[in-house]
This record gives sequence, C-alpha cells and structure tokens, in this order.
Amino acid sequence: MWCVSNPAQSRYRVRMLVAAVLCILFAALAAAAFNVWHLTGAVAWVVAVVSALPIVGALVGTGAYLNEEKDEFQRNLYIQAILGGIAGTLAATTIWGYLEDFARAPHMRLIWVCPMFWIFVVVVFPVIRLRYR
Amino acid sequence: MKNRLRVLRAEREWSQADLAKQLEVSRQSVNAIETGKFDPSLPLAFKLARLFGMRIEEIFSDES
Repeated sequence: MWCVSNPAQSRYRVRMLVAAVLCILFAALAAAAFNVWHLTGAVAWVVAVVSALPIVGALVGTGAYLNEEKDEFQRNLYIQAILGGIAGTLAATTIWGYLEDFARAPHMRLIWVCPMFWIFVVVVFPVIRLRYR
Repeated sequence: MKNRLRVLRAEREWSQADLAKQLEVSRQSVNAIETGKFDPSLPLAFKLARLFGMRIEEIFSDES
C-alpha cells in the first residue's frame, strides 16, 4: 500500500487524507460548539453524529478501495491487514473491558475504538508484507 | 501450488516488472505468485496462460 501505487491506491490515500482532516476539523468544531452553546437534546445528538461522519467516511473509503483495487494480491494484503486490525481492536477492547469490570481500570471512551483499529491496521500491514518477501 | 512462471519469464527475458505491466498487477504480485506464496485467481491464471500461449495446467501444478 505504501510502497507501490496504482490509481486505486492514490484515490484511497486522498480519501483518507480528506477524512483525517475533516475528522480533526469536525471534532474541534463540535467541541467548540458544546463548550460555547452547551448543546442539549436533539441538537446535541445531531452535532455528535455529524462529528463522527468523517470516521464513517474513512470506513466507506476503505470499502471503496477494496472494490476498486484490481490487483488481487494487493487487495488480499489489505484485507489481511483489516482483519488484523479488527482482531487487534476486538482483543484490546475486550481485555480492557474485563480490566474495567474486575480490576477497576479507568474507563476507555468509545471514540478511541476507531483510531485504535487504524493503528492496528498500520502496524499489521508491514508485518503481513514481510511474509511475501 | 507450484508454477513455472520464473522459467517461462526468463525464457522470454522479461523482468518481473515487465510481466507485471502486461498483467496489469504490481511487481510484488508477480513475485508472490512466482515464489508460490500467493495463488492467483482463475481470471488471473487464465490471463497468464493467454500471455504465455499455454494452458493453465502447463504453468501451474497442484504438487506440494
């Protein structure tokens, strides 16, 4: 993904960059809106959901990449990385959930689940690539 | 799955990049197939066979 580049991968990078910028922008705007106007009720729900949309967009962009990628080997690598990301996230959040329940570990906010998933994907991807050297 | 891709490519004096370009895949894909670490799909196997003017079973064999 980060070493070779084809049109699908280039589009994917642009989408992810846009999603990342929007994610930071929306989160900052939402935080400011809640601080200034102390939003409640339906408006608070709408603003909260809208703030999360760039993250959803990143996931949709990933699906679009998998759909557009014509190189089946590259697609296979990325699917493996995504599976690794899902497995890592599920394992980490489950372990942390038990720690919260039984060992009084501090509460982990759910907004960190998606970033955690991407971190796992980024870490797992080069490891998977090494297997095919 | 075993294959004769490296030999067939060498006979034609093609680099992995040359073959990858003709198959419209990455060089890494060709390398993974050649080394037997990745088995191509049927459409890609047919594409390879057409490119070399051979049948699929003349390129790939299911011997371990």
